[in-house]
Amino acid sequence: MSGAAPLERLVAFGRALRDAGLPVGTGRLLRFCHACGLVPVADVYWAGRATLVSRREHVAVYDRVFREVMVGVAPPPPLAVAPRATLRAGPADGAGRAVRVEGEPPQAALASPRESLRTKSFSRCSAQELAALARLMARIRLRPPARRTRRLRHDRRGALDVRRTLRRAQRTEGEPFDRAWRTRRRRHRRVVLLVDVSGSMSAYSRALVMFAHAAVRAHPDVEAFCFGTRLTRLTAALRDGTPDRAIARAAAAARDWDGGTRIGDCVKEFLDRYGHAGMARGAVVVVASDGLDVGDPAVVALQMRRLARLAHRVVWLNPLKESPAYRPLARGMAAALPSVDLFASGHDLASLEGVAASIAGL
Amino acid sequence: MAPATIEGLERALWGDGYLADHGLAVALHLALRMRRPLLLEGEPGVGKTEVARTLSRILGAELIRLQCYEGIDAAQALYEWDYPRQLLAARALHAADPSAPVTDLYAPGFLIERPLLRAVRAGDGAVLLVDELDRADDEFEAFLLEVLADFAVTIPELGTVRADTPPTVIITSNRTRELHDALKRRCLYHWIEYPDLDREVAIIRARAPEVPEALARQMARAVERLRALDLVKPPGPAEAIDWSRAVAALGAAAMDAEVARLTLGWAIKNRDDQVAVEDALPEIVG
Repeated sequence: MSGAAPLERLVAFGRALRDAGLPVGTGRLLRFCHACGLVPVADVYWAGRATLVSRREHVAVYDRVFREVMVGVAPPPPLAVAPRATLRAGPADGAGRAVRVEGEPPQAALASPRESLRTKSFSRCSAQELAALARLMARIRLRPPARRTRRLRHDRRGALDVRRTLRRAQRTEGEPFDRAWRTRRRRHRRVVLLVDVSGSMSAYSRALVMFAHAAVRAHPDVEAFCFGTRLTRLTAALRDGTPDRAIARAAAAARDWDGGTRIGDCVKEFLDRYGHAGMARGAVVVVASDGLDVGDPAVVALQMRRLARLAHRVVWLNPLKESPAYRPLARGMAAALPSVDLFASGHDLASLEGVAASIAGL
Repeated sequence: MAPATIEGLERALWGDGYLADHGLAVALHLALRMRRPLLLEGEPGVGKTEVARTLSRILGAELIRLQCYEGIDAAQALYEWDYPRQLLAARALHAADPSAPVTDLYAPGFLIERPLLRAVRAGDGAVLLVDELDRADDEFEAFLLEVLADFAVTIPELGTVRADTPPTVIITSNRTRELHDALKRRCLYHWIEYPDLDREVAIIRARAPEVPEALARQMARAVERLRALDLVKPPGPAEAIDWSRAVAALGAAAMDAEVARLTLGWAIKNRDDQVAVEDALPEIVG
């Protein structure tokens, strides 16, 4: 152990990191103490970086805690180069600017006949009706189209599985009587939901985030984001809890809830941070927005083209489409439309069910 | 032999043409001393794979590379029986003496060794590079975790192969998906940043000695400016080296906007990025 960094300080440092939200378990802490014994005291910073951090996003937190706790023990961390895209570690505390929910008991909603609820526009639903809708949405099954993976599996047809056939042949004195076959395994494509939660969508966004909640909970490979002037990843916030609690967390995480819309910038942010790295590749991407954009329509057109090139299919849900008189003339909408494979309304449950069904055939 | 100090390791890496930042040198030193796998992440082209290559050279160890891809499975990573040869051997035996019992079909001679088994057998005489683990699927990651946990491979027909001292393991990921926490807990971790200007110049000079110092500096500046732009795929040091080589190959002593335009494809490999960069070339060349 290096004399200048006594064990208590190292342990206290680990605890402070844990309090700051880093996953520092006992195993990691042990390894850190071990590592500190192997490096000069000037390198305690790097020893900790290698043993206590395993995500780039945690480096900033690590640096801050290091400055606070290790002052005087070890030299301060080097000045960080600003990363190109800093990820906001946003632990949603559930408070903040949550969408208020009227506390009616859920039974009241059962009075509303399900059929009429199915075709009632989200914009005219009461809080109780929305609560009932949340339960119905949980039953919607997204069946994203399958893609063939590189992994092979045993099957009753397909190409000859030489390895297995020959292994079996050893039981029949080397004669390959019993042949085996294999085909490529199929896997469902990922579905990515981008829900517009800006002010102009406020009549619908709550129901659409509920839909996202149901989808994220029911399927392991669904990702959800909301956007207005900025993009917020909601997948973790929506993963558990009741719809109300999940939406409250989501609203707290998204600081631009009910604000303006910059569709192009948000799609760009999605592509730069997640989509291009692999999340959008071969996926079905669903954008839910009214297309009323305050940004530059050229940016929308460019970014939607990028999205369409990466994704398997792009679906756009525009609740304004519920009106038969609606024409997609808003500049942002018109710019996006050439890159969209399926354009639907998503303004009521029946429409969402229809979209879920048609996604299977995309 | 592994250098005993961090400075020694840094010098050895430098001597082999790899200019590591100090944090990487510390992480490598710890990986060697603590016998832990090192997980390296960073933008494409910052030299993640090259670390393992260089390390194997300075340790005098064999480099065993396991390139991951979607669908890779245990048979491709660990070992496989050579069924066609077993079959032929069985038939030959049978033809020679139909009454002889066939016993040694599962002899070591019929075993096809794949990278992981080879690394376990080689022990600390090898550097195992598990490249682009993020491309493999979850199932494979779980399987790899199992092998990394105790460096022992059990082959039912032959018994257990165990490494007395585990090999040095370098895992790289491009973060197309997040690796599981269980795997990360086993590993040391380092994020390789883009080098600063001076180090990038030194890297270009080390890797492309034909590029004169002044040109290397100009290229490194240009690449730094490109990275400051909002590009889909900013150029890494690998692109900086290739681009410098290309400019030097054209016989240019210095880069101007025209030479840059002609060779831009070495630095920028995305159509949208090229369009965005082309107008700004005179400022980027400086």
